[in-house]
Amino acid sequence: MKASLPMDKTTRILTVDDSASMRALLNHALTSQGFDVAQAEDGEVALEWLALNEVDVVITDINMPRLDGFGLIEKLRQGNRHRDRPILVLTTESSEEKKARARQAGATGWIVKPFDPEKLVAAVRRVSH
Amino acid sequence: MSFESSPPASPTTRINILQGQARVSAGPRVEFSTVLGSCVATCLFDPEIQVGGMNHFLLAEPPPNTHSGDFDEHYGVYLMELLINEMLAHGAAKSRMRAHLYGGANLNSSFARIGTKNAEFARTFLASERITVVREDLGGMNARRVDFRPARGQVRCRTVENTLAPEPKPTLRPAISRGDVELF
Repeated sequence: MKASLPMDKTTRILTVDDSASMRALLNHALTSQGFDVAQAEDGEVALEWLALNEVDVVITDINMPRLDGFGLIEKLRQGNRHRDRPILVLTTESSEEKKARARQAGATGWIVKPFDPEKLVAAVRRVSH
Repeated sequence: MSFESSPPASPTTRINILQGQARVSAGPRVEFSTVLGSCVATCLFDPEIQVGGMNHFLLAEPPPNTHSGDFDEHYGVYLMELLINEMLAHGAAKSRMRAHLYGGANLNSSFARIGTKNAEFARTFLASERITVVREDLGGMNARRVDFRPARGQVRCRTVENTLAPEPKPTLRPAISRGDVELF
């Protein structure tokens, strides 16, 4: 029998990444664990979606056209609705400087690609409770 | 016998792209070179700002705790994303990028057509990212040498002796790439 955590309600996740291939990997890794997943292709699309929808966790890339991950985190932290929303950064960037910048902008956590589905899911569960 | 010298050729900086690497340049005299057997090289070019980049990869089987496919798709997507992000950092736009794909030969039947699988991964990735492939020379049983002028988007691809191609060593995730999570 497959063990699963009892959940009162489905955890809702917004993933933000400009790569369609990465969105497909994320969607598979998260929906297969029972999460409710919405996806945006850049920071601008994410902001528009978040203005109208509720979410429990945001997972965002850094390098994106129009509005990058740093800009998205800063804008979410400036507003009221998502000031305390857990935001995990998922990026190819491995520099300490970029990590410090994400932390300063208000990110909740930092994950370097390629991601490990089990570790990602564990992190989502941890920050969403 | 003539000692007449030819006009001085502009010096070319040749950069060899090794397996697992991705390089981008706008240098007018830069030439990226690589020799491919089962490996695949992706050349990207943004004609508007004259910037190009090349990677060189061979994907490994997935780590034992994953459940997908014949190879490590996560690592493949990561290697392609590294090249694309480096292009973006040089001012390129994804919508303007044009791609060339080379390599993916099956030099030896004992390698389970790994070249074909790598070529299919590269094609599928670029299609899903909506990056147009303007030229490809994939598959077959012969090694290739690829010379790419990134600032012009010019590519020369030749068949070479299979003995010149490096032994296929599937690209394994570096030890540091374990997808570890750091919560602030």
